[in-house]
Parts: sequence; structure tokens; C-alpha cells
Amino acid sequence: MSAPTASADPLNAGIEKLVHELSVLPLKGEHLGIAESYNPAHFTLTNYTFWMLIALVLTTLFFVVASRKPKLVPSGIYNLAEAGVAFVRDSLCAEVMGPEGRKYFPFIGTVFFFVLFNNLLGNIPPALPGTGTLGTTFMWGLIVFTVYNGIGIKKNGLGRYIKSFIPSGTPVWLAPFIFVLEIISHFLRPITLGIRLYANMYAGHIMLGVFAIFMAIAIEHVAATSFVVLPLSFIMQVVLRGFELFVAVLQAYIFAILTAVYINGALHASEH
Amino acid sequence: MHDQEEEVVIGSLSVLGAGLAFGLGGIGAALGIGMIGSKTIESMARQPEMAGRLQTTMFIALGMTEAIGLLGFVLAFVLQGVK
Repeated sequence: MSAPTASADPLNAGIEKLVHELSVLPLKGEHLGIAESYNPAHFTLTNYTFWMLIALVLTTLFFVVASRKPKLVPSGIYNLAEAGVAFVRDSLCAEVMGPEGRKYFPFIGTVFFFVLFNNLLGNIPPALPGTGTLGTTFMWGLIVFTVYNGIGIKKNGLGRYIKSFIPSGTPVWLAPFIFVLEIISHFLRPITLGIRLYANMYAGHIMLGVFAIFMAIAIEHVAATSFVVLPLSFIMQVVLRGFELFVAVLQAYIFAILTAVYINGALHASEH
Repeated sequence: MHDQEEEVVIGSLSVLGAGLAFGLGGIGAALGIGMIGSKTIESMARQPEMAGRLQTTMFIALGMTEAIGLLGFVLAFVLQGVK
């Protein structure tokens, strides 16, 4: 996306700047006014990858600090980490995949905590969520796609895994259509995984930004409407921020549980 | 038609299309999410001991329905870029 062009309308100018700020930009000091756009062919630290690295460091620090002194009766940060890990193991893996699911806990735990920490970090004002760009989320979708197909092929064998795309008892004339539909639905999975997470994060930040722009305009151009717009926008800002925190956790949960469901489907592919 | 006029028409129609994509997409997703929620509450009231498993299934369905609505949102941004 190009740099913001000078627009006469303050609302338009604000939204243009907001969209520009939320686009992927190379990180060079203050990146707000830089006209050049991001070139994917070059390896550059962008604003999103920068905050993703910070989230990575924070995740590592959190678990290292939390598990430094394991205690029988958990307390403090250790308790928090244990509750999170136990939640992923029992409510995500065991609930969806049964006792077999504990084998896949490391992968699903990684997905869950990566998405969770990135989403939550994005709620601290100068930070951007690493998951707020299609590059990251689509890549995670592809990783999940590769992993669950790999597990399915390893468990059932390539022939039986592909054969499982056609449910037993399908009439012969219908089988090719079902097969094509199933292939399409499999390839749609990484795309929907990526778009769901990206759009949730992006939409949340756009909403917050729009209400911040309303507040800025109300302060800058004082009019009778300012006294209505300002408090209303402020209330919306607070409510939306709370909602964003909820969405951050919910999206991490949905991403991880869908991963578990896909792996479960691949594991039991030959049974139906 | 003049080039400039054509540009204005295309630009305004793309904005209209973006609004329609998001709005109509949102209607479907909203109906779907409402149905998921109401049916889950109904089932939970009928069989409270199943609440945990119902909730898990509800979130899976919720995620899938939501993705459709958000496709409209992404499409809206793509359409707005048309100039």
C-alpha cells in the first residue's frame, strides 16, 4: 500500500493513515512517513516480524521463568503457566482426540501459545499483533495443513488415506464428484485458518483505530457534536479493547482446536 | 464517457461493492452464529452434563461460520483498492 496522500477530509486522511500504519512496512526507525512499500523479495525486518520476535522472546521468557522452580503446590506465575498448559492438554487435545491426543500436545501447544501471545501483545498500543498479517497466518495454515496430512499418511498409508476421501458406500458414479469436493475442502482449510485469524486481528485494530480517529477529530475541531462524539468514542474504545482481549484468546483457542480436529480427522480417516 | 468520469464511476461502484460484500456477508454469518448459540443453549439446558462437549463443538462451528463472514470483510478491502 502506498504512503498516505494528503486528503482534505480529516476522517479520510485519518483512515488512510491508519490503513497505512497497519500495512506491512520495512522497519526503519520511524516507519510512519516512509513512502517506499515493502518488497517481499527482500529479507527485511518488517513492523510485524519485529513484534512477532518480541512475542517469541516474551513467550520463551514466560515459560522459562515459570518453570524454573517447579513446585508441588503451584503458585504465582508457575500456576498460570501450568493452568495454560493443562488447558491445552486436557481441554484441547484430550477432549477432541481422546487419550491418543496427548502425543500431539507439543504441536498444538506451540500453535496455541504462539497465536495467543501474538494476539495479546497486539493489544498493547504501540505493538502490532504478529498474527495481524496474512503472511504469518497463512504460513501457519500451511504448516497445519502439512502436519495433519503427514500424520494421516503416516498413520493410514498414502493409498488408504487418499481412498478415505470417498466414504464407503458411495455410488460409483458419484465417487469422482465427492473426491473432487473433498480435495477442494482440504485445500480450503489452510486458507480459512489463515484468513479467520488475520481478519479478526486486522478488523479489531481497524475498529479501535476508527474510534481513536473520531476522538482525535473531536478534539481538533471542537464543535457542538464534539461533546457527544468524544465520550461515546471513549466508551466504545474501552468496550472494544475488552472485546479485543476476549477475541485474542478465543481466536487462539479456535485456531488450536481446529488444528486438533483436522489431526483427529486424519488419524481416523480410514474408519469412515 | 470521459476518462475522468469513468474513473469516478468505477471508484464509487467499487466502494458500493465493498459495502455490499461486507454487509451481505455479515448477514449470513450473523444468522449462522445466532443459530449456533441458540441451539447450544437449548441443548445445554436439556442436557447440562453434556455442556463441556457441546461448548467445544460450538466453538468449532463458530470458527467455521465466522470465517465466511470475514471473507466478506477481506473482500471489501480488496474491492476498495480497485480504482
